Amino acid sequence: MVVRVENVSKTYRLGDQHVPALKNVNLSVEPGVFLALAGPSGSGKTTLLNLMGCIDTPTSGRLFINNQDVTGKTSDELADLRARSIGFIFQTFNLLPVLSAEENVEYPLLQITEIDKKERRARVLRYLEMVGIARFARHRPNQLSGGQRQRVAIARALAIHPTIVLADEPTANLDHVTGKSILRLMKSINRKFGTTFVFSTHDPRVMALANRLVHIEDGEITRLGVRTRDKGLLYAAERAQCTNDVED
Amino acid sequence: MLRLALRNVFRHRLRTALTLAAIVSGVCGLMLTGGFVEDSLLQLREATIHSQIGHLQIYRTGYYEHGLQRPYQFLIDEPSEVLRIVARLPDVENAMLRLNFSGVINNGRTDLPIVGVGLEPEKENRLGSFVAVTDGRALRGNDVYQIVLGEGVAKSSKLRPGDSATLLVTTAGGALNTLDFEVVGIFRSFSKDYDARTVRIPLAAAHELLDVHSANAVVVSLKDTGATADAATFLRRDLDEHRYEVKTWDQLADFYGKTAALYRRQFAVLQIIILIAVLLSVANSINMSTFDRIGEFGTLRALGNTSGTVLRLVLSENLVLGLVGAFGGAIVGALLAWVISAVGIPMPPPPNSNEGYIAVIRIVPWVVAASMLVGFAATLGGAVWPAFRVARLSIVDALRQNQ
Repeated sequence: MVVRVENVSKTYRLGDQHVPALKNVNLSVEPGVFLALAGPSGSGKTTLLNLMGCIDTPTSGRLFINNQDVTGKTSDELADLRARSIGFIFQTFNLLPVLSAEENVEYPLLQITEIDKKERRARVLRYLEMVGIARFARHRPNQLSGGQRQRVAIARALAIHPTIVLADEPTANLDHVTGKSILRLMKSINRKFGTTFVFSTHDPRVMALANRLVHIEDGEITRLGVRTRDKGLLYAAERAQCTNDVED
Repeated sequence: MLRLALRNVFRHRLRTALTLAAIVSGVCGLMLTGGFVEDSLLQLREATIHSQIGHLQIYRTGYYEHGLQRPYQFLIDEPSEVLRIVARLPDVENAMLRLNFSGVINNGRTDLPIVGVGLEPEKENRLGSFVAVTDGRALRGNDVYQIVLGEGVAKSSKLRPGDSATLLVTTAGGALNTLDFEVVGIFRSFSKDYDARTVRIPLAAAHELLDVHSANAVVVSLKDTGATADAATFLRRDLDEHRYEVKTWDQLADFYGKTAALYRRQFAVLQIIILIAVLLSVANSINMSTFDRIGEFGTLRALGNTSGTVLRLVLSENLVLGLVGAFGGAIVGALLAWVISAVGIPMPPPPNSNEGYIAVIRIVPWVVAASMLVGFAATLGGAVWPAFRVARLSIVDALRQNQ
């Protein structure tokens, strides 16, 4: 299991009100899946994604990354974990404006001291080419279109060879055509290299490409679906409170 | 990371320029006021030395404290011995003998108490560059029974060049003696008090008047005021301390020491005020630009930077800003100081003086360093709180700012 979420709840305090964003959620993510967390806004899908990405901590329950319990880890330990294992792709691209495309892709690699300069250069080049943006390596983000920026972001996420790539509504700020090509790019990387992708989305096109579908509503998982090649989309339990143990 | 920090600093050119302007003007302001204070003190110092005191004075031991009451007890009988030792000083410009005495001047009608100085006119004229002759002329080497009066003395006694006056003293033996003199000039030093009671005559005439053949002070002038301390040490070592004492100009000019302390304290207060002013204006600007970038910092943390790294990034950006501001301020300050000095600042006469002067802004190393430090410290100080606040934000909240 790449990521395992066990009985996790997350509650926010707004003034003296307690808002439950996630209620006792269980989920396992197998390696190599293209998983979509689907749900309306306010369903908790982004919260779940944030927890899986270790940029937030659960109020209760446990979280496992690569079968390692990360629940009690300190902020700095989680930062190190993110630096080496988790790639992020944001709706708003979030590139560093003062760095060029290649410098943006290089940035997360700088924290991994084991990777020397030569290896860094090699990776930056490889992933820029993979996402089709090598021509614009020296451009700053403000000189790139939205689609191009998102490609840089994908390259940045992949460069660290992450265990999992988490994408929060990556096509929401892109037009139809561009969004489609971005999704196709990510799907092809997933297929070719087996990189695990987890999306948080309400875009049906993303859901159509996913081979695992997790429906979330009001902080709870309502449906778990698996898309197989021959049988199409199959839904497992309704109102699932148990782990996803559907075999493909 | 330094590259990132540097590029971030120059990202918003206008905002950075305004922040830099605040730092630069703070540093500049301090440099100009500090340089002005240094000039005032320097002028005062040189005026003190070159009016009456010289750089060092050598007396018989005990003269400084008791010489006024018992003038004849502290005469230097062998001035050549002292002069020989003085001649060995590396920075010596000149050494001259003085015979100080007190007595009375009579203008034919009334008496006026005075302090008299018997001196060597040619040497004293070279030392006394801050002494102005307001009427008539200064004493010359070949004068015998000529006298010059301080401005106040001339006014009180209504004596003018061309008049004759009589000096009356008590000799060593206890007898009264008088001598007639021709008034040839009126002088003005930087001290009104001094001019109100002092007259000057040639040393030989003083010898005749007082019936002694010695001096009670050896006045030493140096080529450079900075060498005074070393010269004093040298002289104290070589002169028998049971017979001679050495006093430096700052020991003799109590006024200077007190003035210097006052000015420096005022300047210290000014430094604090400017530090606070620059800190507040810089803090505001840094606060705004840092909080503007919360989304970016959230991204950095999501990518795996620790909060410590983010803190260091913000601080190093502002460190660069502080350094650029401090150095820029020093350069602009130096340029302004040079321009203002070229024009000169006319100053009114200081207390106890009748002479005004032209002030300049001096560029002195410690003033420059102190000003730069204040600018730099203010910038860093203004960055500390925003840096810590930003580093402590939750990542999710920070990322939200990207919408």
